[in-house]
Amino acid sequence: MCNYSVAHYRRADVNKVEREITVAAEPEDVWRALTDEVLLSEWLAPEVELEAEVGGELYVRSEDGEERWDTVDELEEGRRLAFTWADSSVELSVDAVSDGRTRVRVVETAALPVSDWGPRLTALASACALTLA
Amino acid sequence: MSDAVGPVFAALAHDTRRRVVQTLASGRGATATSLAADLPMTRQAVAKHLAALQRAELVRSARRGRETVYELKPGPLGEAASWLATVGGEWDERLERLGRLFA
Repeated sequence: MCNYSVAHYRRADVNKVEREITVAAEPEDVWRALTDEVLLSEWLAPEVELEAEVGGELYVRSEDGEERWDTVDELEEGRRLAFTWADSSVELSVDAVSDGRTRVRVVETAALPVSDWGPRLTALASACALTLA
Repeated sequence: MSDAVGPVFAALAHDTRRRVVQTLASGRGATATSLAADLPMTRQAVAKHLAALQRAELVRSARRGRETVYELKPGPLGEAASWLATVGGEWDERLERLGRLFA
């Protein structure tokens, strides 16, 4: 059932993680799991508070007790939710795959550009871009 | 293209090796035996993955008594590998929990 994308290893973006999962549910139900505080607490982190609107606050307390206050950057009802969390931006999107099956895709991008991670990493990124372009 | 960078991506593209990197990133060095206890694989399999990570220059080893201790190499490549493995691992766990909501 799980289908994890490894696309990020084939791209120049070494500061990006991409994952996806396809579940047997309707997009509306999956969207609710992404925007309802009670449901978010079941999977995102043990404690989640979310104002599901652009500029709204997102509070997350993780397993290790770390607390984060973040902001909703973009919200496209039923489709896409983007927020900034710690030093990364996260985008969650929902797509109907087929009847009764829905794909959730997540992209987390570190705020730090690849070039700040040192010349060797930049070399790595451009080498991969060259190879795979 | 530099010869040094090809093996890095090959090393990280493997799911099991990402888990090894992730485990190394969360600790202060580990042996093949301690990694095998933490991960669902044999000591031999761990040793093979550690060798691949070492060839990619993501991991370094040191003798400590009769043991060989492995740790992530400091520096941008190790940091990038550690970030990819840690953040990727966190999302793996979250999406698995999300999947269980609809199982």
